[in-house]
Formats: sequence, structure tokens, C-alpha cells
Amino acid sequence: MAAAVGDRARPVEPGRWRGRLLTGALMLPATLWYLVLLVAPIAIVLVFSFGNRTRIGGYSPGFSFDNYANAIRSPDPFLTSLFLSVVGTALCLLVGLPLAYFIATRATKRKALLIVLLVIPFWTSFLIRTYAWLLILGPEGLAGFIKDLTGSTSFRILGTEPGVLIGLLYGYLPLMIFPLYVTLERMDRALVEASKDLGAGRWATFRQVTLPIALPGLITGSILVFIPMMGEYVIPQLLGYGQVYTVGNLLYSRFLEARNWPSGSALAMILIVIMLAVVTVYVWLTNRGRTVRNVSVV
Amino acid sequence: MAEDLDTLLRRMAQSRVHRRGFLKGSGLAGLSAMIAACSPGASASPSSAPSTASSTAPSTGASPSEAASPSPSAVAVTETEGKLFMYNWSDYVDPDNIEKFKKDFKVDTFTYDVYDSNEELLTKLQGGASGQWDIGAPTAEFVEAMVAGGFIEKIDWMKLPNAALIDPQFQNFYKDDKADLNNYHLPKDWGTTGIAIRSKDVTEDVKTWKDFFDLAPKYSGKIVIVNSPGDVFVAPLKALGYSLNSVDPKELGEARELLRGLAPHVLALDSNTYDAKLATEEAVMGLVWTGGIDDLKEKPETADTKYIIPEDGTLFWMDTWVIFKNPPHPNSAYAFLNFIHDPEVQAKETVTNRYATANTEAMKLVPQELLNNPTVFVPPDVLASGKLEGAQDVSTDPLRVEIWEEFSSSIGH
Repeated sequence: MAAAVGDRARPVEPGRWRGRLLTGALMLPATLWYLVLLVAPIAIVLVFSFGNRTRIGGYSPGFSFDNYANAIRSPDPFLTSLFLSVVGTALCLLVGLPLAYFIATRATKRKALLIVLLVIPFWTSFLIRTYAWLLILGPEGLAGFIKDLTGSTSFRILGTEPGVLIGLLYGYLPLMIFPLYVTLERMDRALVEASKDLGAGRWATFRQVTLPIALPGLITGSILVFIPMMGEYVIPQLLGYGQVYTVGNLLYSRFLEARNWPSGSALAMILIVIMLAVVTVYVWLTNRGRTVRNVSVV
Repeated sequence: MAEDLDTLLRRMAQSRVHRRGFLKGSGLAGLSAMIAACSPGASASPSSAPSTASSTAPSTGASPSEAASPSPSAVAVTETEGKLFMYNWSDYVDPDNIEKFKKDFKVDTFTYDVYDSNEELLTKLQGGASGQWDIGAPTAEFVEAMVAGGFIEKIDWMKLPNAALIDPQFQNFYKDDKADLNNYHLPKDWGTTGIAIRSKDVTEDVKTWKDFFDLAPKYSGKIVIVNSPGDVFVAPLKALGYSLNSVDPKELGEARELLRGLAPHVLALDSNTYDAKLATEEAVMGLVWTGGIDDLKEKPETADTKYIIPEDGTLFWMDTWVIFKNPPHPNSAYAFLNFIHDPEVQAKETVTNRYATANTEAMKLVPQELLNNPTVFVPPDVLASGKLEGAQDVSTDPLRVEIWEEFSSSIGH
């Protein structure tokens, strides 16, 4: 998922086919991985999207554009997913950047401990952790507390978009923090010191020195978070009570309730295209005018 | 200054990664890749309560020649292959019975894989999982699709003497021209879909689906419904007096209007924690299955919970044992199916799972209080009245799909 663009690799001397063979052999595992686990499944979904549904559901070969024509009855699920993903990514950034900065630059002695604390919850089943939020935010938890405080009888966190956003923030925060942490950790502290010596205030230093250095990690983190959020189903269904209806819900319904694989595949292809477009625009916007174009984790 | 910074940055970008940096970076990259792999969105869907809609009316009239024919002269299988691979709903067989089976039949490996829905089971089979499991227990209406797909085997009744104990109205689930399908399944348990209320909040006498719709505006925002299209269509269609399997556009159109009126008042579509919502009174009325309701009735704080079988008719589901095609351990499969319908074993299943049994001998061994409990057993007069109708596999009908999508995406608004 991470590719270094524009890195200056050691050039292969002309005529040295052995060097090329070595390069090819080294790239083979990654290439195979991409082909088998990424390209092939998407190709299958593409083929399915043009097919027909059998009587009992599933796929039967065919070629028609009907599924695309009928895929979207209403744009609402897409808009909801887009809203949740954009706001969710922004929230992860808002919470993740300070935390990553702190761990990378300030927490010298406890760095390892903090990282471990971030990772440990992921050793528990994701479903169980989401169910835990049902208790925390539910009528016997936070919502009940606020209801007692304000005297309102109908206050609810679960079943609303803020409730879902809390769940999304919780679930995806580490995906945002790790790329940011890695980039910030490698930052040369001398640059910050130099900036301060030259009279820049703390905010100016952060804006003009730290942030541009952190940008590759920021981009990677945003993409790592945004793309899965677009297809998220479990969190909106559990914490949103099914009231927050996303593309994930729609896909689930098409595949597993209507058992209409071709229709679901068409919907999935449309989603993939939308996500590709958004990410391409995003990367182009953030890499504009940079002499060093870099979107990498390591 | 800016140029120097630029040069510095360029130098940084070109610098070779030192070994420590590489290890740290790749370690964290690996970690975040691992986290991304198990990240939300890729995970499994929430597990649902054991059954969705299904089952035909428990009335008589099975067609003669092709119907299932369990025979009292059958001989049980005693030698097994020592293993059994089961694919089933979660926690659906009493663990004590499993241990007894393993001991009595010398089975040392008993794997119990779990699916969350019939659709998941069917999808897995369509994806080519033949030969991986021996037996499973889908909901009866899915047997038709599974036979059409060639995923299950015809049952050899000569190996199942206990099959003769099954009440024919359950064994002969499929009628008329589909009666041959009855040779592919062995009933496991059955139940109903109905209305649950917290009677201290809902003081009206709720008796029918029509009442349910009429009361919805009053209890707006406090209604929970199971996330299952097959069950949800029962309410409007029965309130209107139609068959709950209807695919008639006119009837479905009328049902759609009722659902449109209901949608804004629904709190949640929830198949897994509707009992928790009823317990905290987040919901006071619901279209639910019977799972979890008895637990609510037993606790003092929630003892006012009532489960109502609507008088205008409702759905009757049945989960049923099937033998998958090319089972790796056929003898174990037949041994288990016969074992599970040993009256004592079956009665224990009923007591533990709290779902009604179709086995007439086992019913004699079930405690009377369970037989009188409407969430478990249906009173015999209601059974005989024909008000209970079983669901056919109609959830994929295009008009139903459209109405369901509209309903499920508009609840609460």
C-alpha cells in the first residue's frame, strides 16, 4: 500500500541484464501478492457486476449493464458514508496528530510503553470492543448520565451520527497515529532548534517545519483511515442502530439479504471508482508543488 | 533560508535508511499493516439470534408418494468414523449432549463451526465448501435453495429409527409438488415471531399486528425490530389479512404503505441485542424472536415483559438438520442425527435451548411449565387454528427487496 515515488534508486548500468533479473526477482513476491490478492478479486467483482442473478441468488454468467443502471436508487447512503468518512478522518487527524507528536518528540522515557498501550486493545476482538461502546454510550452509560444532568427524556448518543463517529474515531485512531509517529520520529530535531534559534515562534515552527515533514505520514494515515471507513458496516449498524444507513449497509443488504451478487458487485465497483477518484485528487492536491514527492510509511 | 531548508529536506529524503531506522520503521509498518488487516470494516458481521423467518403452516395435507417416509424398521448406525464436523448456529446444541455423543459413539474430534445467518451458510456453500462439513441446521425455507444448488444429500431413512418420532406436520414442511424436499431434512426445533412489550410502559392490551401499527406513533422512538426482512414483512401482511409469503404487487404495495408509516417511529433494527434494549426500556415494544425473552421474564426488574403471538396470524419458523453433500464422516452424521432425537436427549435440548421440539416422544419428557410457556411452545389450539404460517424463500423477490431497502434505510427519520 505504500510506494515511494521519486526516490532516487541506484541506476542500473546499461547492459547489465543480471541486475535487472535481480530486481525482477526481488519484486516478484510483492507483484504476485498484488495480482492474486488485489487485482484478481477486483477483476472477479467486475465480471460479476455484468452478470445475472440465478433463481436462488448468486451469480450466473451474462453481460448487461442493468445492474449499474439499477445500482443506485438513492444517493443518500453514499452521502452518509462520505460524510462519516471525511469527518471521521478529520477527527482522527485532530486527535492523532498531537498524540503522535507527543509520543515521537516528548515522551523519551515512556515511548515504548505508550506505543504498547495503543496497540494492546487490538488484541481483543473488534466486535467485543464495539459492543463495549453500546454500554458506555447507552442509556445506562454516558447518555443516561447526561439525561439525568439535563433532565431531558429523549437524549440519545447511540443511533445518531455522533455516536457512530465516536465509534469510528476509536476504531481507526491507531491507523492514523502509526504513520504519523514514524514520520515524526525520524524528523531531525536540529531543524526545529534551528528554526527557534532564527526567531520563529512555536506555532510558526510547527507550521513551517514540523508539519511539512509530517505531511507524508499525514497523507498515508488519512488514506489508511478514509478508505476502510467508506465501506464500514459494523459500526454504523451496531452504534447507529441501523438509523445511520451507509453504503456498507446497502452492500450487506444486496449480497446477503437480496442475495443479488451482480447488483452488489456493481455497487461495489461504483464505490471503488469513487474512492479511487477521491484518493487521487487528495494525493495530487497534497503533493502539488513539492520537489520531493513522497507518500511512504518507512 | 527556505532554499537551505529545501536542500536539507532533499538530502533527508535521499539518505539511506539506517539499520535501526529500518527495523523500527518496518516493525511499525508491519504492525500497522496487521492492524489494518484486522481493522474495522473487515471484520465479521454481528452474530444474530438463531433463526430467521421460515417454516410452513403446521397443518395436514402432505402429498402421499413423495413425502418423507421415516420407517420404524430402520436400524441405527453405531460405528462412526471417530469425527464429526458440524456447521451450525452458535450455542445451538447442549454441550452435555455433545459430550455424551462423543463418549457413546467414540467420537474424539467434534468441530463446531458457526455461521450467523442462513444467507452466510448459503453463500459459503455457493462458494464451493462441499466436503468440509457433515451436518448443519439451516432454517427450513432454505432447504429448497440448498437442494437446488446441490449442497445437501437425500436422507436415508433406513438409518434413522428415531425419525419416526417426529410429528408429521413438521417433517412434511413442504407441500404438494415440493414434497420431495421433505426427504432432505430432519426437524430440529421451531418457534414463532411475535410482539414483545414491557407491560408497565405499554398499558394497552396488544393482541394483533394491527394493534402494533396503531400504537407505533404513541411509542415513537421506542420500538425495536429484528433486522430480518422475512420477519418484518409478516407484520403488515398479516395486519392486512394476506399471506406473509405474498409477492403480489398490490398486496405488497399496501404493506409498503404500512411500513412507511412505521419507519419514523422505529428506534433500531437489531437482531442481536433487542432483549437488552427491552431490558433498559430504551425500547418498550418490539417485533422480535423469542430468544432472550424468557430471561427477561425471569428477572424481577423486567418481569413485566410479555411475549404475544398475534391473533391475526404470524410466522412459524423451523430449523432443521441437513446432511451436506459428500460428508467426510457419513456414519457419524447419521449416528448423531439419530442420537439427537433420542427422546431424553431431545428433551434436554429443549430445556437448555428453550426452543420447541418437533419430537412427540420428547415432548412427553419436557417439564409442564415449559409446555405452557408461549415463548417456547404454542398452545395446541393455536397450532391447530392454522393462524401460523411458515415462510417460503421469498426475500429475494425484487419488489420485496426494493421495499425492504426503502424501509431499512429510512427508520427513525
